[in-house]
Amino acid sequence: MGISLAPEGGTPSWRFTDLQSMSEERAILVGLNGLERPDRFLKPVRSERPADRQVELREKISAFAEMKKLYMDTKKILKTFSLIPILLLTLISCNSEQKTDDSGLKTASWEDISAKAKGTTVNMMMWQGSPVINEYMNNYVVPQLREEYDINLKISGGQGPEIVQLAMGEKEAGIASGQVDIVWINGETSYQLRKIDGLWGPFIEQLPNIKYIDLDNRYINTDFQQPIAGMECPWSIGQAAMVYDSVKVVNPPRNLDQLETYVKKYPGTFTISNDFSGMTQLKSFLAELGGSPNSLNGEFSEEKYDRLSKLLWEYINHNKKYFWKEGETFPKEQTKMSQLFANGELYLGFGFSEGGVEEKVVSGLYPKTVRSYAWKNGTIKNTNYMGILNNAPQKAGAMQVIDFLISPAAQFEKSHANGMDSNTILEINRLPQEWASKFKNAPHRQYGLEMDDLKDYAIEEPAPEYMIRLYEDFRTLVIEK
Amino acid sequence: MKNKGSILGIVFFVLIGVVPFFAAFLYALGYSFGVLGILNDGFTTRFWEQVFISGEFLKSFGYSAVIALVSLALSIGGALWVTLKFRRELDKKFLSFMMYLPLAIPGVVAGFFMVQLFSKGGFFARIAFQLGWIEKTSQFPDLVNDSLAFGIIVTFITMLIPFFTLLFLNVYKNERIEELSILAQSLGANANQVTRRVFLPIILKKTGVLIALYFIFLLGAYEVPLILGQESPQMLSVLIIRETRQFDLSKISEGYVVAVIYTIVVSITAILLFLPKRKTAYEI
Repeated sequence: MGISLAPEGGTPSWRFTDLQSMSEERAILVGLNGLERPDRFLKPVRSERPADRQVELREKISAFAEMKKLYMDTKKILKTFSLIPILLLTLISCNSEQKTDDSGLKTASWEDISAKAKGTTVNMMMWQGSPVINEYMNNYVVPQLREEYDINLKISGGQGPEIVQLAMGEKEAGIASGQVDIVWINGETSYQLRKIDGLWGPFIEQLPNIKYIDLDNRYINTDFQQPIAGMECPWSIGQAAMVYDSVKVVNPPRNLDQLETYVKKYPGTFTISNDFSGMTQLKSFLAELGGSPNSLNGEFSEEKYDRLSKLLWEYINHNKKYFWKEGETFPKEQTKMSQLFANGELYLGFGFSEGGVEEKVVSGLYPKTVRSYAWKNGTIKNTNYMGILNNAPQKAGAMQVIDFLISPAAQFEKSHANGMDSNTILEINRLPQEWASKFKNAPHRQYGLEMDDLKDYAIEEPAPEYMIRLYEDFRTLVIEK
Repeated sequence: MKNKGSILGIVFFVLIGVVPFFAAFLYALGYSFGVLGILNDGFTTRFWEQVFISGEFLKSFGYSAVIALVSLALSIGGALWVTLKFRRELDKKFLSFMMYLPLAIPGVVAGFFMVQLFSKGGFFARIAFQLGWIEKTSQFPDLVNDSLAFGIIVTFITMLIPFFTLLFLNVYKNERIEELSILAQSLGANANQVTRRVFLPIILKKTGVLIALYFIFLLGAYEVPLILGQESPQMLSVLIIRETRQFDLSKISEGYVVAVIYTIVVSITAILLFLPKRKTAYEI
């Protein structure tokens, strides 16, 4: 490689340049056509003997011809392949949707559905951010389904926008038999799925265990002010609550005025997550500014939203200099909030499942002095649901899985205070005696509030447009300010 | 045979690299103009207008470019220094192992390391608290999710310095800079001149394209700014993913607008980078 250090003589600087350009040419050629004989380019740049020069020239010409041929071939190939994306695009946009005919399932007898469900593989997409939920699903639900119904349940991770994106993508591509059968949803996800006609149903009346659920309860039969209309099967119910560490804060704030005093006293220890949970907190604040827990009930009102949200943004922007990181940024999501609370950066928290304190204290993430508490004007209480996608390949299997999920046995297992600790959706009084007493005698939470403790502080979920608007405006009017 | 092999290679490259990329680009283009997407009703320039009116894209682009430039400049500076000063030490097994270890760490893991080390509840904050330098961990300076993107830049530097050191050391050996330096010295150049006139020009010229490619790579980085960035402004990829996955389905197309602009900018840059080189190849 050092050969070119001694070409025809000249100044050292000339030699450096020559050296550089030499190895560059070599690199390009070797890289471009995988030359097996890079050595021919390692020869001196100019030879002394004319015969050598000729050989060299010939080699160069042949290398050039080779490259030219390669270039022409590539051009030809590229020309052919450039048609492929266009073809693909045409396929994507023109593929007519062929629906599998499952409408019979809506009227079929449960025996028929059960028989059809046997031996199927059902795919479910759900949020997998909680170890206790994963533990319950993987180590209880999946083996039980296999044993009792010969159903192979496969769970994949995904929530809210991912589910909607999947359904949208598959619909746009005209995929009649989708990847996912069951989705765990509520609120704006079900609103969006219905907007794109992504849910299949109504189906819940077919499920034998639905009789244990009180479908007249407004917190259950209405998902963000929309009737569930048999399209979503209730799975769990819960209420959001505030969380505080009783050692660090003696009197935690219970309304917006007290919160203002609190953040000035304990600057940097409060924030709102820029996700579903944070927006739920903002909805509670919005209702408080509206003057009552019911102030957001009913259909979305532009006028009401504009009036109340203006007050809310004024309140937040006025006080955010006392928030975490002086309100310059907000945590991306709830898990981040929990980390910040656990490592002591935040003194106040907010969470679903009545604050979700129990599991975090038991697992050692939060200290034993952490408690959940009620917000005076109330916090959102809602239900989450299981839905079946319109292009689900195994609808019968999906129905069987969902029926199992709302069975007394599965719901009892899910409600263990030291396990998944999720409120049952079942109406205890409707259950057979044996199950009713099991539920009544089950051990209670040690650290968190029970849903019953919060029943006087419950707010209905407002229409989904409130959430969508809050998301947008929280970003543009608070975060980006 | 050789030719057939290379054509087969190109076919695979086109099939695996070009076709999906091109199809995705066309899809994004269609989405950005409202031609595709079940909630769009046909051709409109509305989304493009909105993206430019809101100014968020330009802000994000500038923010990403500055972060990429600063990280790159500091990493290259660091790597050049290491190459100049420690190239002999790096021949030793243990030292080179320590030096190149960060190369094996994925971006997500590096991001989490940064949070563990530099957050207000992290390792250094705790040490500072135990030593009595701060009274509360919240007094620890803002180094993660901060407005100056300290966390992102430090992570990039940690990941890039080993890479560039490895690269520079190879160029150093392959280009015989050692011999050239001796030659220059024998002709009367001093150490400073050798560095400025021999070492730096050769190394930077040889690695120029790669440095530019790394700039593009950093411009589009996702995991590190996702974990360590703030909510506004966001780096480009984070912005694009957020826009295309937002709750307001009617605005998803705006995310595709950003993706299309980004792709065009990067493609033009890449073409500009490689054009003069191709000319050299033909000139042989």
